[in-house]
Amino acid sequence: MGAEQAEGETLLISGNVAAGEAAIRAGCKFYAGYPITPQNELTAFMADQLPLRGGIFIQAESELAAINMVYGASAGGARAMTSSSSPGVSLKQEGISYIAGSEIPAVIINVQRGGPGLGNISPAQADYYQTTRGGGHGDYRCIALAPATVQEVCDLTYLAFDLADAYRVPVIILSDGLLGQMMEQARFDHLPPPDPPPKPWALTGESGRERNLVRSFRLSPDELEELNLKLQANYAKIEENEVRCELTGPDQADVLLVAYGTSGRICRQVVERPLRKLPFKVALFRPITLWPFPSRELAELAEKASGILVVEMSAGQMVDDVRLAVEGRCPVELLGRVGGQVPTALEITERLEALFA
Amino acid sequence: MPSKRFEVTILTRFCKGCGLCVEFCEQGKLYIEKKPNRRGVQTAAVRPDVDCTGCLQCATMCPDAAVEIWRVEAAASAAGAQQD
Repeated sequence: MGAEQAEGETLLISGNVAAGEAAIRAGCKFYAGYPITPQNELTAFMADQLPLRGGIFIQAESELAAINMVYGASAGGARAMTSSSSPGVSLKQEGISYIAGSEIPAVIINVQRGGPGLGNISPAQADYYQTTRGGGHGDYRCIALAPATVQEVCDLTYLAFDLADAYRVPVIILSDGLLGQMMEQARFDHLPPPDPPPKPWALTGESGRERNLVRSFRLSPDELEELNLKLQANYAKIEENEVRCELTGPDQADVLLVAYGTSGRICRQVVERPLRKLPFKVALFRPITLWPFPSRELAELAEKASGILVVEMSAGQMVDDVRLAVEGRCPVELLGRVGGQVPTALEITERLEALFA
Repeated sequence: MPSKRFEVTILTRFCKGCGLCVEFCEQGKLYIEKKPNRRGVQTAAVRPDVDCTGCLQCATMCPDAAVEIWRVEAAASAAGAQQD
């Protein structure tokens, strides 16, 4: 891996490894991580490849140490990344808050697994709240990207570094154990060479310029208010410019499926290759950015819909954002599977029939 | 004076400077470098004037398998104190 590809050549590659390859091609120069299933292939790939391709890999003593190493490396101007799975990402929350408060870029990949607690190693989508509602303390947001195919894992990991640098925010890629392990065809040759913006704020050694200081501490309430208002204005810009979503299926659908990631790809099957004919038209609305959430786009579709079924591998987390966006325009129902269970196309089809036929 | 029986090598490309080896060495042979290396890590390092007893505690404790202990044969060993 890491060899040159012929133009248009595709590789059969797993989600975890695709993320690593895309990160290195995006100019990632520092990775700190700690083992946890089901994301170990990503850490192992970075351990193997990153030092050979101009970067530094450190196996940290914990996920908490890893996010703090990323904070430091990024403060020094390097494109830096860490990855983990659910309980390990919980350990990173304080560090992410510090990174956000210090206006430092960072990329964090969460390959979700069943929870809460130690849970299991099966795929889940129960970290949506943690990802989009902060997870750590304080008024901050992370851009949250939700791939549903290995190609999207590649493309969104690459994009994450550009977004992180452009807005000086943490970017979280919300993958899961299924996406991380599955193997699909993906291309990498369309990814442009990395082009990080200048970072005049970075800690690069003091010669020839004013001293730089990276910190989230502002003792005076006036100063901390100023920082927070600046962060909020930045988040408003991101909400205006960086929403991504996809509609699959008929225009003027009667019923909408709303799902992301692995649930999204299963719902795509329900829409594109239906198991049986349904007495209504159903389309899939798939958020790709979970924050900023595509509320406006969903609200428009909800105007014409008679019902929405949200499918999540959780007890229902994104469904809250769907209800907020829909604002009562039509009923919003939930099909949630918990504990690392993955819903089937049949289950979803049967629930659609029961609810809307 | 007894001749040196064991050589200690720190594989600095793996070492993250956690200090466990320093903590567990009962001879005081190991310490943490003041100056960080190219990876930004203050790695473990070896005091040449202290004798290693070959107890292997340092190598056993190291989470990154970054410590090697070599038995010295009558002929001089090829192992250096730090290897990148």
